[in-house]
Amino acid sequence: MSTSLYPLASLAQVEKTPSREDGIPEELELDLRAFGCKLIYEAGVLLRQKQVAVATAQILFQRFWYVTSMKQFGIGDIGMGALYLASKLEECPVRMRDLINVYDLLLQRTAHRVKYPPEASAGPEFKYVPMSYVGSTFYDLKDALVVAEMQILKRLGFNVHVVLPYGSLVNYLRLLGLTEREDVSSKAWGYLNDARVSLLQTPVYALYAVPTIVSAAILLATRQLGIALPSSPEACWWELFDADWEDVWSVAGYTMRLYRERSPDDQARLLRLVSKKGIRSWLEENAPTTSKS
Amino acid sequence: MVCSAFVRRASTAINIIPTGPRTRRSVKIATGRKVAIKKIKVGQFKDGLDMSAIREVKFLRELKHQNVIELLDVFSSKKNLNLVLEFLDTDLELVIKDRSLVFLPADIKSWMAMTFRGLEFCHRNFILHRDLKPNNLLIAANGQLKIADFGLARDFADPGYKMTCQVITRWYRPPELLFGCRYYSTAVDIWSVGCIFAELMLRTPYLPGETDMDQLKTIFRALGTPTEDDWPGHTKLPDYVPVGQFAKTPFRDLFTAASSDCLNLLGKCLIYDPRRRISAKDALNHPYFFALPYPTHPSKLPKPAKKEDAVPLEEVDGNVDQNGSGPGVKANQPNNKLKRKHSSDELGSRPVARRLDFTKS
Repeated sequence: MSTSLYPLASLAQVEKTPSREDGIPEELELDLRAFGCKLIYEAGVLLRQKQVAVATAQILFQRFWYVTSMKQFGIGDIGMGALYLASKLEECPVRMRDLINVYDLLLQRTAHRVKYPPEASAGPEFKYVPMSYVGSTFYDLKDALVVAEMQILKRLGFNVHVVLPYGSLVNYLRLLGLTEREDVSSKAWGYLNDARVSLLQTPVYALYAVPTIVSAAILLATRQLGIALPSSPEACWWELFDADWEDVWSVAGYTMRLYRERSPDDQARLLRLVSKKGIRSWLEENAPTTSKS
Repeated sequence: MVCSAFVRRASTAINIIPTGPRTRRSVKIATGRKVAIKKIKVGQFKDGLDMSAIREVKFLRELKHQNVIELLDVFSSKKNLNLVLEFLDTDLELVIKDRSLVFLPADIKSWMAMTFRGLEFCHRNFILHRDLKPNNLLIAANGQLKIADFGLARDFADPGYKMTCQVITRWYRPPELLFGCRYYSTAVDIWSVGCIFAELMLRTPYLPGETDMDQLKTIFRALGTPTEDDWPGHTKLPDYVPVGQFAKTPFRDLFTAASSDCLNLLGKCLIYDPRRRISAKDALNHPYFFALPYPTHPSKLPKPAKKEDAVPLEEVDGNVDQNGSGPGVKANQPNNKLKRKHSSDELGSRPVARRLDFTKS
């Protein structure tokens, strides 16, 4: 919208996020952010939710961790809350029960995969155990969902204005004369939007303006396909889009980080840390070592 | 839940005066500025925050215009979401109903110009209001008219994306929505403005239908049953039903004192085919607004005499139910716990939402 700018994190917030202040290492925080976004994405697919709502949810989720520590709220609850809120914002609300069931399934499935990695192929097939219809699990999750929704709104100062990158990508590709190359379009789109690795799983939407992010997606796509774009001074393609090279490079770096191999141990650890309880007990276990280092 | 009624208290006191579960309370805060607080209850067993609350916050955060109500702040206390809005004295409905006031053609022109200006701004920013009625056009102390209550507003959907047709208070609802049209645009708001325009001249609702069916009949009785030429394709709309043939009553018979410019604009707002209905921008450039008499200056517009506690609560409640057709007006909360007076100090120290430290980009 023309009348307001969308918010970005301040330098102080970037240098020391609330989670890092509580002793969660940067690497772990980024992994947890990415894992939370992946859950949102998968839930969105299972719920057949509109892509705009899913993307909005992931951006709100990323912003949230610049004002709140993961010690206070779990990434599972906040992810659910973000998707629930974003669905309302984009006028396609989902039912609470559906959302909660989907999250329950996703967490069970991830747990199963960690226990029996698909490569080993020795484990039993995954079987979803639905929660009891009358049990308290559902109501506990529901309460957590309502709280999460409110807390996201409150802590973001009720500013839920989000700008999505898709329109800009189409325009930029057209400007660069790349629309004919279907592989570029789909690669770049993938970097914005993929299930396994996407810019939405990184904090960049809370750090950089949309043109910079879109430029990074184009950079990654063209580099990968070996397409040369004008990049010598006085004619640098990213300058057309008001992006700085440093920023574009840094955004691309955030994405490449997602490709780092995670050991099964790391993944099991992530899963344990989906709730704030997990984070708290992890912090207790690891508190002495972090303070020493 | 949402308060869709306004209770205005001409309160000079410093205290917050609790007046009920769905009221706007006026408060004088430290800056000395009078504000209205719209309290939204967050249902414990409901689906989290109400859609209309979310819409209102989302859109009012972004819209800043002299003819759109200003959202000053939002804060939440334990179970409530509170919207702090600018304080406005009265609304157009009360002005219309006040029989002691006489409207000059220039006054009507002034109100219409302000309505169209506010609406054009919303439409320019891709927002549909979807609940325009005199009751939602508030009037400030300086006479400025402001569009309020964005509880049903939404941004335009992508073409081909369905929207609900259960919006807009019935008397102001355009025929395409009554026929169940799920794809629509800014033209729905223009129809409402047309109805308000007529109401300003008549001093009584122009098309007061009693049910959705009766509404269609009322519209056709006034404007004539549309033919395929008037409105191509309307017979194929999802909920189309023939409601009988009526001849058009010429505007001239009803609006005897109106100028021809005026009736021309009114006619263009009430065109059956939504595609041919005038846009807010074109309406602002309509000769009506450039002809004599020029619009009255807002500060000189007629307004109801100031009374303390002008609106008793009961009356407002009744009023809300009477309009209870759209989904936005379903609020009816039993939880009527009157709290004791808060002092203003208490207001200051209340846990207010943590301001976001995000700097503007």
